[in-house]
Amino acid sequence: MGKLKKKYSEGASRTYTTRNRALKKLQVTLADFRRLCILKGIYPVEPHSRKRANRGSTKLTTFYYTKDIQLLVSEPLILKFRQHKVFLRKLQRALGKLDYTRAQTLDANRPEYTLNHLVIERYPAFADALRDLDDALCMVFLFATMPAVSRVTKETVDECKRLSTEFMHYVIHARALRKVFLSIKGIYYQAEIHGQSITWIVPYQFSQQVPTDVDFRVMATFLQFYQTLLGFVNYRLFTAVNLTYPPRLDQALDDNAAGLGSLRVESRRVEDLIDARDAGLDAAATATPDAGEVAKRMGSLGTKMQSIVAADSAAPAYEAVGTAAHDDDDDDDSAAAADLLFGKQVVFLSREVPRYSLEFVVRALGGRVGWDRTSGGGSPYAENDQAITIQVADRPVQGHQFLDRTYVQPQWVYDSINARRLLDTTDYLVGQQLPPHLSPFVEYTAGDYVPEEASRIAAAAAGFEGEVTSLNPEDRDQQDSADEEETAANDVDGESADEDEEPEDDEDEETVHAEKQYQKQLLAERAGVTFSEYQQKQKEAAAKPAAPAKTRGSGAPKRTKAQIEEEERERIAISMLSKKKRKVVNRARADAYK
Amino acid sequence: MPAKRKGGAAKRTAARRDAPADEAPEFPKSRGIDVPSDPEESDPSDSDGEDGDFEAALREMAEDQGFGSDDPDTFGAEEEAEEEEGDSGDSAESEIHSSDIDGASSDDDLDGEADSEDDGSQASDEEEAGSVLVRTASRSTDGQRTAVGDAEEDADQRSKLLDGEGMEGLTIDDFGRDIAGWKEYRKTLPQIDPGYASDSSTEEPANTIGNVPIEWYADYPHIGYDIDGKRVMRPATGDELDKFLANMDDPDVFRTARDETNQLDVKLSEEEIDIIRRIQGGMVPDAEFNQYEDTVEWFTSQTMKTPLSGAQPHKRGFVPSKWEHKRVMKIVRAIRQGRITRSGPKDAAPKYYDLWADAERDGAADAAAQGGRRQLLAAPKLALPAHEESYHPPAEYLPTDAERRKWLAEDPDHRKTNFLPQDFGSLRTVPGYERFVQERFQRCLDLYLAPRAKKKTTQLDAEELMPKLPDPRDLRPFPSAEALVYLGHTGRVRSISVDPTGLWLLSGSDDGTVRLWELITGRCAQVWNLRDTVHRVAWCPNAEVCVFAAAAGSRVVLVTPPELCDDQKQLVSEEMVRAGFGTAAAAGNADDADDDDDSLPVSWDMPTSAEQATGIRVSIAMHRTAKSVAWHRRGDYLATLTSEEGGSAVLIHQVSKHKSQRPFRRLKGAVQHVKFHPTRPWLLVTTQRYVRIYNLMQQALVKTLQPGVKWISSVDVHPQGDNVILGSYDKKLSWFDLDLSVKPYRSIRYHTQAIRQVQFSRRFPLFATASDDGTIQMYHGTVYQDLNQNPLIVPLKILRGHEIRNSLGVLDCVFHPIQPWLLSSGADGTIRLWT
Repeated sequence: MGKLKKKYSEGASRTYTTRNRALKKLQVTLADFRRLCILKGIYPVEPHSRKRANRGSTKLTTFYYTKDIQLLVSEPLILKFRQHKVFLRKLQRALGKLDYTRAQTLDANRPEYTLNHLVIERYPAFADALRDLDDALCMVFLFATMPAVSRVTKETVDECKRLSTEFMHYVIHARALRKVFLSIKGIYYQAEIHGQSITWIVPYQFSQQVPTDVDFRVMATFLQFYQTLLGFVNYRLFTAVNLTYPPRLDQALDDNAAGLGSLRVESRRVEDLIDARDAGLDAAATATPDAGEVAKRMGSLGTKMQSIVAADSAAPAYEAVGTAAHDDDDDDDSAAAADLLFGKQVVFLSREVPRYSLEFVVRALGGRVGWDRTSGGGSPYAENDQAITIQVADRPVQGHQFLDRTYVQPQWVYDSINARRLLDTTDYLVGQQLPPHLSPFVEYTAGDYVPEEASRIAAAAAGFEGEVTSLNPEDRDQQDSADEEETAANDVDGESADEDEEPEDDEDEETVHAEKQYQKQLLAERAGVTFSEYQQKQKEAAAKPAAPAKTRGSGAPKRTKAQIEEEERERIAISMLSKKKRKVVNRARADAYK
Repeated sequence: MPAKRKGGAAKRTAARRDAPADEAPEFPKSRGIDVPSDPEESDPSDSDGEDGDFEAALREMAEDQGFGSDDPDTFGAEEEAEEEEGDSGDSAESEIHSSDIDGASSDDDLDGEADSEDDGSQASDEEEAGSVLVRTASRSTDGQRTAVGDAEEDADQRSKLLDGEGMEGLTIDDFGRDIAGWKEYRKTLPQIDPGYASDSSTEEPANTIGNVPIEWYADYPHIGYDIDGKRVMRPATGDELDKFLANMDDPDVFRTARDETNQLDVKLSEEEIDIIRRIQGGMVPDAEFNQYEDTVEWFTSQTMKTPLSGAQPHKRGFVPSKWEHKRVMKIVRAIRQGRITRSGPKDAAPKYYDLWADAERDGAADAAAQGGRRQLLAAPKLALPAHEESYHPPAEYLPTDAERRKWLAEDPDHRKTNFLPQDFGSLRTVPGYERFVQERFQRCLDLYLAPRAKKKTTQLDAEELMPKLPDPRDLRPFPSAEALVYLGHTGRVRSISVDPTGLWLLSGSDDGTVRLWELITGRCAQVWNLRDTVHRVAWCPNAEVCVFAAAAGSRVVLVTPPELCDDQKQLVSEEMVRAGFGTAAAAGNADDADDDDDSLPVSWDMPTSAEQATGIRVSIAMHRTAKSVAWHRRGDYLATLTSEEGGSAVLIHQVSKHKSQRPFRRLKGAVQHVKFHPTRPWLLVTTQRYVRIYNLMQQALVKTLQPGVKWISSVDVHPQGDNVILGSYDKKLSWFDLDLSVKPYRSIRYHTQAIRQVQFSRRFPLFATASDDGTIQMYHGTVYQDLNQNPLIVPLKILRGHEIRNSLGVLDCVFHPIQPWLLSSGADGTIRLWT
């Protein structure tokens, strides 16, 4: 007879361990365990059988993988936590004895630890880190707007501000911004970095209320890790596009609430690049002794350095790179055009619009931005600058309007970004009732309800002609110079002027309409749409707005005989299924219907 | 000059009095004054140069007092100037004095001694006894004076003490711990020789009897003993007269006191009298003691900025601490070993660097991904916001008032969305979202508290699950479209039947009529009005004859419709039906008598002549309503079912002999149907929940089918006899394989209402179900010869056409015996042909 096996020596009770057992094993407090779990990214698991995992007990407990806990045992952070605890005890004792000198010395030599090793451990590849960046960004952007009171220190807020601003600078520089959404919770941004979609939300620029029902120790632990992660990610992103990291902080501008402008983003110096090249050469020599490869890299490095030197001579780095990118991507012109949506625009932000968001998005799409003196310093354009083409305002009545620019509401900027083209401004002029603002993240599948606005935009995009050309500075130059004179009296002059240009005669209108139709057809043809398809699309577009707003489910089209038969057959077939299968099929069909 | 001299002498005496020479004559310099202990300098051999010696002593004294010794000349000059006032005898005087102090010289110069006696107490030489008191008194005053502490006098004293500086000047203190040295040194000192000139030598031996009353010696000639034990003789005393005369002569009598111990008269000095007077007056004895002197506050309550303390500083104030030294050395060592570094700005290593550089070069990322540690599941990302989260959503996304109220009333944890869609119209009116931090916090909690698991979601494709059925088009022919409608009945058509040739259709209805239709054309050939609900009509399956049975009310009639077939057939039919008359009564009665006491509730009657004219040949009367009629396949036997309770409900009639019999003595349950098996001598009796199959030959129960339905409506047996289908009022169709099991092989539920009738086709692999939902479901049902192969059941078609009346749809259906056609009758009074 073999040896009797001891109970619970293998199986689920070995695979899983309860939280209390983990605490006992690690000899840490619950708070420290929580901190470890957060930092190491260890999460509870749900065993198949709780009873078996908990040695026959059905008590409600949290389970972890035993191997995860085993990993924690050798975690150097545990020692650091203990050192910190000892330090606190010493400090408290010194303070209790009013031994302030000792307390100061202790404080100066307080044990410190970094989480660098955890970042590389949790994200062995840079792509992994990017994939998990959403939460980090949300958290850092939130704490960047938090008031530095009680539980949130000023250092934390400053660090978060710096990190978030750096990241925004990268997004601007890399032209990575894809979608923006004005939600009731905050502003969602989506950027595409190294092929990964990264979404984060930024609260509106109000002072955050520090709630009482939130455990800030948990938040602080998360934030600590996220800061480290974002710092390293920023470093990598910056150096990947040859920018110095960390960017220099202009304290004067920062004090003046210059926002993005307070960080000076600069290209890396040539010497640094040479150093990097040497390092790269060494690495290449050790890793792959491929002379041809090295030579190729050398060659590319030379051109790169030249371009960087050229970029250095130009004043702001982002502009230089922007133009360079534009020059390079001649083949995919449309994509580049979408990236530089506001490339020809100079946008001025009135004081009532959210500057931090608009400055970011406009610059991210190649535009230049000026803002009112009251909403922060460092504006490159004053309100009366002749170069300004668009002014973003959110007041129904403007006191003084310049005729040479368009006054739009902020939603126009965001909707244009989501549509990836400059939308017609007529709906977005100040004082207008705005069209609904739709989420750019919604993807429609067959059978989904599509809001009217979405279909309108889609239709407009299909037969895109638009009035946006009037926003181009060249066109504007051709306008009557008399129009450019500022008239303070009439606040709807801009609009009426546009109307004046429209042909008024009835017979002309018909010809103009036909002409437009023809142009649209031509455009569609150029886009590779066949005539029949185009006509079909036109019909659908015409039919859609006529449909009532709430058409979900109702108003199903008349089914053909064949369809009916097919449905009949399906129903018959379903009747042949066993009860279990029938349920599954019905559920699948219900899901599909949804 | 003498006065001056005297003054100087007096000073010196005072100084001498300071020295307690009288207490310890051996150690004349025992007072704790620091004396330079340089034996070479104070070598006694140098004592010849006395002046120089004195100067040296002075210089030393000056050094001792803190003066710089670097200007001895000036100091010496001063001294010399002072000395010039006196004569050269001064030095001699000093010499005498010094010898007097140390008592070493046996100088007989009494001048100094006399001086001292004169200056201190002015006691007379002869009054030896008084000298003791004087000395004590003077000592006490001296003590006072020392306490007051005149610095100048102090210096003087010392100079006097050091007058005869030599080897003799050493005291025990100078040797410190060198006791042996001191003892050696003491031996060198000259022996004290109390000679005649000494004070004590001239004194009378003092009485040393101690503290005993003198009257103890009253009767003796002596008054006590001296120190040597010799008697001290009582001094001679005069008589009272002498005393009186002496008192009268003596002016000092009032100041004379009697010393009883020594029996002497002591003359008190002025000071002593003064002391006595003071004691008597209750005053301090010492006249010079000022009891109201100003208080010197050695320890005051007031804290001074630079406190003046008369206390001697402690030694440890001047000696470097050993322990401090140790601690300092500890720190020094730590610094040397580099354990303590200078605190200052730490070396600023860059906080962030290319963390992934090494990992990517070494391919560590791949290694980590391969194994090493468990792959952590990435937390699922938060769902992206939809249109309703917009600050200005389309109007259709805004909640109605009811929805808003519902949302508000709901528990926050159970809400579908954690926000309520709102339309702000313009961006400037959008407020801050107050639950932003909470939602972030919730996400944090989810990240570290929520268990993560990989959920395997099967990508359910409904198409995959769907049974692989053959295309119905391949299973043709089957009835698929309505071809004819037979109109005429005014009530529900409960039953239809097609004759074995397939030319005629028979239908029985609630309107009490049985109609005969030409099947192809839909022409109604004949109508029999039976004046009662016709529950069932059934053609005799025997193709040789042309007879049908109809159950109407409480009777079953057998009809040979006239002019329907050729005469021969007609004749045979009538012969068969009527053959029983004559024998029937006797046989039936005999049977009844044989069988049982209770007679069968059946009577074979001859119909009326009017009825006979229409073709009704035999009428079988029952006690209760006949509900069902079923022919045996040979066409001779007929099974009927009545609504009677018990065994009499089911009867089997032999048409050719007009003979009825009751196969069951009693029956369990309410019988719904009876049916003959198409191939075997079996009878299927359908109760509400079961189908019992009896073998009529063996008179035994073969098996009981358990379809598991609530209420069976109809049963049919496959023409080959091994399969049974069964319809139920709870919408189910069950297929039984009799060889396999008593449980259904397949249960199919398609109809939305109760199934009224199920029917197999006799010729084609088809069967149909008719339901109250107004539809007929057509199935293909192939039964294979191979017993291992399961029957194939394929739904083919749903036939719609019948209207629903009073929630009754299709009541009966029947297949055409030759063509792939189906006929159906409904509650709407119509019969339809499906081809």
